[in-house]
Amino acid sequence: MRRFWLGLMGLLAAPAIAAEGQRITVTGEIIDTWCYYSGVMGGPDSVVGSAHHTCALWCSASGIPIGLLTEDGTVYTVLKLGPQDNATGGDTALTLASHTVTADGMFYERDGINYIIVEEVLEDQGIVNLSHEDYDVVPSFAIPEPKE
Amino acid sequence: MKRLAASALALLAAPLAAQDFSEGSEARTWNLYAEVPALFDAKVVDVMCELTGNCPANCGDGERQLGLLRSADNVLVMATKNNQPAFTGAVVDLLPYCGKQVTVDGLIINDEDFPINNIYLVQRVKAGDADWTKASQFTNVWAAENPDAKGKGPWFRRDPRILAEIEKDGYLGLGKDTDAAFIEYYFE
Repeated sequence: MRRFWLGLMGLLAAPAIAAEGQRITVTGEIIDTWCYYSGVMGGPDSVVGSAHHTCALWCSASGIPIGLLTEDGTVYTVLKLGPQDNATGGDTALTLASHTVTADGMFYERDGINYIIVEEVLEDQGIVNLSHEDYDVVPSFAIPEPKE
Repeated sequence: MKRLAASALALLAAPLAAQDFSEGSEARTWNLYAEVPALFDAKVVDVMCELTGNCPANCGDGERQLGLLRSADNVLVMATKNNQPAFTGAVVDLLPYCGKQVTVDGLIINDEDFPINNIYLVQRVKAGDADWTKASQFTNVWAAENPDAKGKGPWFRRDPRILAEIEKDGYLGLGKDTDAAFIEYYFE
């Protein structure tokens, strides 16, 4: 029974331990988290990459959280992005929208959400996910029809 | 002792189970596949401050993501979207309540399989006995901050920073040549 209580106390203490940051280096695409999570525009593959680039700019500029989507499907909500102190509507976030980057920073997990505080963007590959080849543009009105 | 242990385990499991906060909610649907109405009391917090202890004044004055620390279970809910169907975040709407206790009404998205946890679209907010305020302030604040961007069409067609990015790399972000070829195909 003593072992049970010790184990239980360890489990109860787990959230405090989870709040500790961990240094990580991850590679992934800078995405618009709202469209990715909500499905408002379609499935997850259609709201990343070049097809969704313009919408990603819109959402990022308005302060919708950006994420870093890794190849294994993990999404890290980005709270700070490199040289600027924030990732909320900032210029760096706009410049890197839809780009695949390698980032070094501190990882936190809280209540099922992964967070990263990016200290440095080590590599910027640009946009490598050419999703417009499969999905055109999402949403379909992202590009205004050229005037005659 | 057995009963005490069982109660302790139940307590431990409670935050892990998806709780229902839909009672009393008047949130309107956005027809999102995993949306659930959610009305709850919470403290408006700077998420980065909450995680790291790095806490500038006034939740970063709009430069940091804001969260809702739910009173019922201490879960940190990510305030991702405001009430406007215009590609708009929730920071502008929640910043006036930084550090305050509020009641929010909106849609929460959880999906264990995706996984998605505690993503929130806030539709209205109130502090104490005050009236509800619609979480629809982004475009007003944007217009006040961008007086030179007046014109027809939604804000995102006129925002100078967005226009500069599109001018630089095109709508697809792949350069003007790729854009031109795609536009010719897309509108043919």
